[in-house]
Amino acid sequence: MKLETPTAPHQHNRRSVRQVMAWVLLALLPAVVAHVFYFGTGVLIQGVLATAFAMFFEYLSLKLRKQPIKLFLTDLSAPVTAWLLVLCISPIAPWYVSVIGMFFAIVIAKHLYGGLGHNIFNPAMVGFAVILIAFPQSMSLWLAPWGISQPVLSFSDALTWIFFGGGQWIDAMTAATPLSALQIGQQQGMTYSEIITQPIFGNFGGLGWEWVANWLFLGGLLLLFKKIITWHVPVTLLLVACLFSYPFYAFDPDSFLSPMQHVFSGGLMMAAFFIATDPTSGCSSKKGKMIFAAGVAILTVLIRQFGAFPDGVAFAVLLMNMSAPLIDQLTIPKPYGQQGKGSVSEP
Amino acid sequence: MSFHGGLKLAHHKESLMGEEVVEAPIPEHLYLSLRMNQGDEARAVVSVGEYVLKGQCIAVADDDMVLPVHAPTSGTVTDISVQPSAAPDAAMATVITITTDGLDRTIEPMVVNIRSHQDIIELMQKSGIAGMGGAGFPAYMKYKQPVKTLIINGAECEPYIACDEALMLAKPEAVISGTDWMRQACQATTAVIAIEDTSTGIQAALEAAIQKSSMNHILVKKIPSIYPIGGEKQVIEVLTGQQVPEGQTPLVLGLLMQNVATAVALADVIESGLPLLNRFITITGDAVSRPVNVNAMIGTPLSDLLSLTEVNYTAIKRLVIGGPMMGFAMPNDAIGIDKTSNCLLAMKEELLPSGNMPCIRCGDCVQVCPQELLPQQLFWYISGESNDLEKARDHYVFDCIECGACAYVCPSHIKLVDYYRYAKAELRYLDFKKQHSDHAKQRFDARENRLERIKAERMAKRHDKTAKLKDKQVAKKEISDALARIKKIKDGQSP
Repeated sequence: MKLETPTAPHQHNRRSVRQVMAWVLLALLPAVVAHVFYFGTGVLIQGVLATAFAMFFEYLSLKLRKQPIKLFLTDLSAPVTAWLLVLCISPIAPWYVSVIGMFFAIVIAKHLYGGLGHNIFNPAMVGFAVILIAFPQSMSLWLAPWGISQPVLSFSDALTWIFFGGGQWIDAMTAATPLSALQIGQQQGMTYSEIITQPIFGNFGGLGWEWVANWLFLGGLLLLFKKIITWHVPVTLLLVACLFSYPFYAFDPDSFLSPMQHVFSGGLMMAAFFIATDPTSGCSSKKGKMIFAAGVAILTVLIRQFGAFPDGVAFAVLLMNMSAPLIDQLTIPKPYGQQGKGSVSEP
Repeated sequence: MSFHGGLKLAHHKESLMGEEVVEAPIPEHLYLSLRMNQGDEARAVVSVGEYVLKGQCIAVADDDMVLPVHAPTSGTVTDISVQPSAAPDAAMATVITITTDGLDRTIEPMVVNIRSHQDIIELMQKSGIAGMGGAGFPAYMKYKQPVKTLIINGAECEPYIACDEALMLAKPEAVISGTDWMRQACQATTAVIAIEDTSTGIQAALEAAIQKSSMNHILVKKIPSIYPIGGEKQVIEVLTGQQVPEGQTPLVLGLLMQNVATAVALADVIESGLPLLNRFITITGDAVSRPVNVNAMIGTPLSDLLSLTEVNYTAIKRLVIGGPMMGFAMPNDAIGIDKTSNCLLAMKEELLPSGNMPCIRCGDCVQVCPQELLPQQLFWYISGESNDLEKARDHYVFDCIECGACAYVCPSHIKLVDYYRYAKAELRYLDFKKQHSDHAKQRFDARENRLERIKAERMAKRHDKTAKLKDKQVAKKEISDALARIKKIKDGQSP
């Protein structure tokens, strides 16, 4: 009898990278449904478009890098990047916006840095930051959420809009994002309490946006339950965002956003559960994760209040991505036996 | 109390519960490895063709780290050669093959006469008692100083393994008497027997035995069944809330821990006067349709063990000694078990593709690591192109207990433990080399300094002399003195 001698362990919990990615996609599903409900089917068109190009760029990069194509093309990491980006951009953004976003996400941020598991920056946020800077107008031009302008943009209208540009109904159907409405309003000398009486605002965030955020939260709970993420990043991020923004708001509620607005408008909820939790570009230890999340929260609030861009989540994440290796070096946890939990006894 | 991380694993031992322990018959051949797990070997004192008796010493220990080896039954030594053994990685070892005669003729038992704790410790050494739970170090070596509490580890190391539970159910009296002998050997006041909370009937059996022998200083405590609870460090944290400080043994906490099988071995030795010759081992795995616990002689070949139960031979893909998390796959079934072999796993499962996907740093490994390390960071530094092993040291690679929990959960199926074992071995080697070169450098520097000093002294002397010669009077005297000396020598040489 001659046998193979593989090394231990000889059993495995049988979870794979593909499964992890599939769970993330599943966790995004409620938010996509909410998106369709409030903003129409545009997000689905963008999703298909971005996923197709993500896979294309992935294939191209793998081929050029001489990596196993089938193995990596089926790991579902490219669709995750695509859907994360799609949920950040306007459902009626022109087609080339998501294509360019995907190019920077997959080719530049992911594969030029070594591919899956080696990227320093979160690919979706790199793509998002590039198109945010390159196409500021397209990015701030959103469909008005359901409840303001009925009916919702039809599928064929959305298709036309994305591929051939808008028609005359543009003004009736579109609106600014809540955060840019706030910025514009403030530039016009309005107070925040005046601005948020506009119909695009809901109970505690933007109308529609707050529900997308709620459903992102639900998806985030699924990831927590499946132990794909830990509580450290989302709890710290949301808590610090509230705590840090509250003193500003209490000092002058007419010039500063309330903590609720911060959490439920823009990309903060998404960042808390899906972006800052990205293990590859984030920190490793519990302490490191919490510092990372706190950094994202503080930078986001600062950029929103004092920066030139209405939302700062993408830039906050990228800045913290840069700091992650340093934070990791400074927060190596003490292992068993070095935590002072053993009092030496006298023999 | 609990410890960090860990895994809830399927036990795979339900069918073994309450089953009788099978007494293995004397096999035709016994393969007795002379190797201790850490690499040192005992020295054979028998030769091929020699007839040996049960209990006879066939290999002696030349240093403290090694234990003597005894023949488990009578027969003829038919081979002494280097072969794969049951040691970690099926390491090559000197193996004595005994062809048995089935007569089981025994040596005259030792007269056991215990007057002090030192006598017990010597008996452990003489009768070849190794730690039977894991690393297999000579058991007597742990008894370096008196402690407060003796802990007897009755928690199984891994899933599938049930031999210690079977032992406690089959021989509760021996467990208690062995525990008390050990308690006396380490001069502890109390002893705690730790068992898993999923076990049934063991606590009652042990407590009845305690009652019967009125040894009320022995306690039985249940601990949670979370892998790797069988690890010494984890048992101690769960029982006491304390952690063994880095680089220390439990002795500094006033604790000493032994496996329950080791305690029973001591009790058996004291009762019979014969050295350690047998052990309990679980025969199981998904290629075994009826798992059993067996009382087998040390050196029994794996093939003989498999023949004791119903096995689907053609389905066997792997034969593992030990458990599914830390056990070692054996290259064939003609290997004899050793004193630490607690389980034989016959597995038919296909292997997972390993190492194909890169690490995505998901951190699942951090969640389960019982030593609170960052396995993904260790992997990064060890596998990276820079091969930055010193960074792995900074991330405490030497605190890894190689339990395999990280590799078990890794979604990229990376053989993480292999990397840590490599890093440890490589770092130890580099340290060894550095120590050597440091020594050489020290010697070189010392020699350079010495030569420098001698040169300087000579220069100073010469300098003194030339300074003196500047005075004409002195110079004249020096010259005449020198001439006189030369003349004297010449005269002396040619009388």
